[in-house]
Order: sequence, then structure tokens, then C-alpha cells
Amino acid sequence: MKLLRKQMLDGNVQTMLLAILEAGPSYGYAIVKDLNTRAKGILQLGEGTIYPVLHRMEEKKLISASWRNAENGRERKYYRLTAKGRRALTANCQQWRLLTSVMKEVLGPAAKRSPEVELKGAAI
Amino acid sequence: MSRALQKYLDHVMAYANRKQEDAIKIRTELEDHLMQKIADLEAQGLPREDAIFQAIEDHGTARTVGYGLRKGFALLDVRTEGTARGFVAIGPRAIGVIAFGGVAVGLFAFGGFAIGAIAFGWLAVAALISCGGISLAPMGAALGLAVLGRIAIGMVAGGGLAVGLWVPWAVDRVSLLGGDDGLQFLQHFRTFQSSVAVVVIISWLFIISPFLTGVMGAIESSEHQRIEKADPKLAQ
Repeated sequence: MKLLRKQMLDGNVQTMLLAILEAGPSYGYAIVKDLNTRAKGILQLGEGTIYPVLHRMEEKKLISASWRNAENGRERKYYRLTAKGRRALTANCQQWRLLTSVMKEVLGPAAKRSPEVELKGAAI
Repeated sequence: MSRALQKYLDHVMAYANRKQEDAIKIRTELEDHLMQKIADLEAQGLPREDAIFQAIEDHGTARTVGYGLRKGFALLDVRTEGTARGFVAIGPRAIGVIAFGGVAVGLFAFGGFAIGAIAFGWLAVAALISCGGISLAPMGAALGLAVLGRIAIGMVAGGGLAVGLWVPWAVDRVSLLGGDDGLQFLQHFRTFQSSVAVVVIISWLFIISPFLTGVMGAIESSEHQRIEKADPKLAQ
């Protein structure tokens, strides 16, 4: 089992959160659950560490937030994607596609020679 | 809510150090997350106590989460771990107008490795005045053991006007080992500009720098006391 290095993820968590919120408004715990489901257990993230990222995204107006009452009566903060966030997601996805395609081209035979690994997880 | 959970949130908020109105909202959000997580873990068959501790563990250490929740660029940011960012920043790595740390970057920077307009450290790089073990200020004044500056004073000095035991390179030099009369170097400070530079350097070394170091030390100590008040174990 191999560990996905944290440095490989730096800067990409924001894009992952934008992608999750593209599906519709959501709140912290649900976002974490969704992220874990989509990542199929490859990411092991400190759940509390997504809040600083969400708050920074809110400051940058990539997402907006509103408080609503949850079914259990507690107040809950919901996040939704803004137009600026949607544009950022599109741009980041393009960058990501470019990076993966250039890596594939450059690594070429070297990538094929390296054995397949089972990813264990990455701490964020 | 359980005491362990309360305590964890207290610790997170102690590290986050936010204004009360922001702190209440952040705490409510984190509490909601943790309560849901606990409910989910209980639904999976975990006893409540275990679920609480599992939820806290999965949430991350109070220090990591709390520091992450600090304001982007606060008036004052004091940290015992990571990079402090603020008008006044104090931490292992510090970026601010006044920065104090292992690695300090700022208008006024103090640290092991300091970069700024005025820098003081073991390795100091500055635009105006640098002071330290290895001190570089190509356009200003540098003081220290090995120095390079427009005015350079040190054991090994190089630059414009260089005063030192060994002066390997200088436009105008006073080498105390090179046969010059040591007292002759005073003639270099006869001009008005040189006198002003000397006054600034001496003020910086013996008045401003000790004063700022004292103030930074006091701020750092008060931050430790604040964290210690939240939980004595956190300060250890």
C-alpha cells in the first residue's frame, strides 16, 4: 500500500470542494462525506481541516454561505457555488486536464515501467 | 454535549483566536459537524463514548484546525507552529510588517533567517539595515561577523565603505589587519551622511532593536498564557 503524498494535493483541495458544491448547496459534514465517497477512501483527511479551506473560498467569493435550521433543530451553515466559483472550477479543470496530459506525454515509457500501486491514503 | 467535545472545541477556538461573533458561528458549525459524525458512528454500532473520541480524532488536532481557522492577515498573529501571518507576526515562520521568528520576512524582520527592509538575525538580508552573523545589505548598512553592504562593519567586511579585520573587497576600506591606522577610520565618518548613518545604526542596535525584541517577547509570552488559560496541557 502506498501513501499519496500531501504535496501532490496542495492547491487541489479547493478544486475538489468546488466540484462537490457544483452538485448543489451542501454543508461541512455532508461535503466531507461526499469527498470521502468520491475519493473511494484514497484521501484520509482531517475533517476539521476543510473548514479553513471553505472559509477562505467564502472570503474569495468562490462560494457563498447561509445559515438554515437543520432537521434536528440545530443551526447549520450551507455553502453554495457562486458564478465566480463556477468559472474557477472550469478553469481549474482545464488546468488539471492539461497537467495530466502533459505528464502522460513527458513520463511516457517511465510511467508504464513503474508498477501499479494500491493507494492507501493522503492526510490533508 | 459531552465534556470531551466541549473541551476539544474550547481548544480549537483558543487556537483560532477569533472575535467573539465569528467564534460563535465557527463553533456552531464545528459542533454541528461533530454531533452528526457521532450520530453516524453510533448508528454504525459504536458506543457513544467511543464515537465521541473517534469523531474528535477524525476531525484533526485542535492546533491544526484552530490555526487554520485564524483570520487570513490579522493585526497580530502569534503561533507556536507553522507560519504566522499578520501586521505583527510571531512564530516559527513569520510573515508580516513586523516579523519575528525562525524564518522572518517583513519590513522589520527578526529571526534566524531574516529578510526585510531592516533585518536582524543569524542570516540577515535587508534593503536598509541588516545586522547579524552573516549580514547582507547591498544598498544599505550591514553589521555583523561577515557583512556585505554599502556601509559594512564586521569581522569580514565588503562593499562600499567597509570596516573590518579583513576587508577582501571595498570601494573605500579600513582594514584593521591591513596596516591602516585603526583611528584613521574615524575620518570616514566626518561627512554629514556618514554621521547620520552611524547614529541610525547605533540607535537601531542599542535602542530600537532591544525594545522591539522585548515587545515581541512580551506578546509571545502573553499568547502562551492565553493558550495555557484555555488548557495548561496545551501550552506544554
